[in-house]
Amino acid sequence: MSAQVPYGKVALYPGCALDGMAKQYEVSLALVAKDLGLTYERLDDYNCCGALEVKNVNTMAGLLLPARNLALARKIGADAIMSACPGCHYSLSRAQYYLSKYPKLREKVNAYLEKMGEIKYDLQLMTIHVNEFLYNSVGIEVIKSKVKRPLTGLKVAPYYGCLYTRPKPYTLTGYLRLKDDPERPVFMDKLLEALGAEVVPFEAKTMCCGGPHVYSDPDVSINLEARILKEARRNGAEILVVDCPLGGVAIESNMNKIAERYGEDLRMPVVYFTQLMAFAFGHSPEEAMLTANLTNPMSVLKRYL
Amino acid sequence: MPIPELEKSIIKGVIQKDKVVIDGIELDGTWNSFMIERTQTGYDPSVWDEIANTLEGVTISACWQCGTCTSGCTMREYDPKYGPRRFIDLARKGDKQGLIELQNSIWRCVSCQKCTHRCPKGVLVEEVVHAIHNYLLRHGLVSTDPGTVFDELFFETVMNNGGRISELMLGAASVKKGMVKMGLKDLITMTGPLLRSGLFKELMKPSKVKNWEKIREVIEEAMKEEVRPE
Repeated sequence: MSAQVPYGKVALYPGCALDGMAKQYEVSLALVAKDLGLTYERLDDYNCCGALEVKNVNTMAGLLLPARNLALARKIGADAIMSACPGCHYSLSRAQYYLSKYPKLREKVNAYLEKMGEIKYDLQLMTIHVNEFLYNSVGIEVIKSKVKRPLTGLKVAPYYGCLYTRPKPYTLTGYLRLKDDPERPVFMDKLLEALGAEVVPFEAKTMCCGGPHVYSDPDVSINLEARILKEARRNGAEILVVDCPLGGVAIESNMNKIAERYGEDLRMPVVYFTQLMAFAFGHSPEEAMLTANLTNPMSVLKRYL
Repeated sequence: MPIPELEKSIIKGVIQKDKVVIDGIELDGTWNSFMIERTQTGYDPSVWDEIANTLEGVTISACWQCGTCTSGCTMREYDPKYGPRRFIDLARKGDKQGLIELQNSIWRCVSCQKCTHRCPKGVLVEEVVHAIHNYLLRHGLVSTDPGTVFDELFFETVMNNGGRISELMLGAASVKKGMVKMGLKDLITMTGPLLRSGLFKELMKPSKVKNWEKIREVIEEAMKEEVRPE
């Protein structure tokens, strides 16, 4: 397969989420990519990116963990490293930022990478998110042409999460044409509209879900999550579409508590946008693993079967 | 360097005497007030220096105190004492006491990155706030908070779990530490779909980086190194 415009060879950094509770995200991504004729190579020997936690414990560990993944991607000759989890996207972009900015630090990190038995990292990667990859690689018309099961009339609220576009010094949103708008992202909206779904006005698109403190400051994160659901409900959405496993899993697993505290009407199914794409492309709910979500997306999707 | 003092009264107190007579003239009312301690002492300028010499905190010097970070802050809505601008102000002045008084707020950053993203001066605010918090922890000025406990738990899990995190393991560890309560109802809603879809089997599979033992040694060695922004 020839290199893809505009990214060249793409390496998929799965991150722990895709091997964990967001398995359905990766499975459905593979289905969608196959249908669209897109290719990527999976980094099988990846390690944790450090997320938002390790950097607070130790600076060097917080850089070495993502740096090793960047080196792995360069080892297979990739031009871009793609994450499905915005948390991983953030973490890899952060390492890229620090390593490009501080040459002495880069030397040190590279020395440690060699000690681990990896190659030196040469800064030649672009860090991208699945959302950007699907939107920029094929174009909306191609996606429209693949839809076999149009989701006409499905009211969706697209939730991007904090780290998909923020902060701009790391993710370069607002600086590059290939990147989304930093405050009001639209790539997922366009993808969902191409499936025939109706995207409701949704101001909580990039609102925080309290992810890093879901265990340590639970009351705040439950309230933050309830706010996202409330905003979706107010605008008439039937289903929350996410591109963030951190937010998705947090909202799903807290759904009972949210409903208890803030009202049953906030209960809403949560689905990954790739699952919805795979479903619209004609794959069965089992193939798209729509049954694996803790909330039940099929309750609103069954009318399209 | 002149430092604006906006948020803390510099007048510590007022002495008012019952009766004061100077040169045969009796003073009363406002003429009879004497301010004590016009300047606040006890600033430690090394705080700024030390934070500005860390990788995360290097941009602290660029801050011009506009408050863009604080006005959009997610945490500010929940905790009125939470304010990145204030933390930066106090840290640059070296007002350790002021920071210690805010110890129940400063750890609560949820890393939503709005502040870093919007800062017109390119201050990496989220990183700077963590650098300030880390300074306080490193010098033993504040006690450990739930956020730090979780961060360490996360890191421990990564290191002991073959370089990867597993949600189940992390969740179980957090429940064990008493950070979160799991009822039977939660357990049923969690495990139902996982079992139905066969995802549970996947989750239980050991997933490990091939050469992890060696990589772990290198990381542990690297952790001892002091990192400077250069």
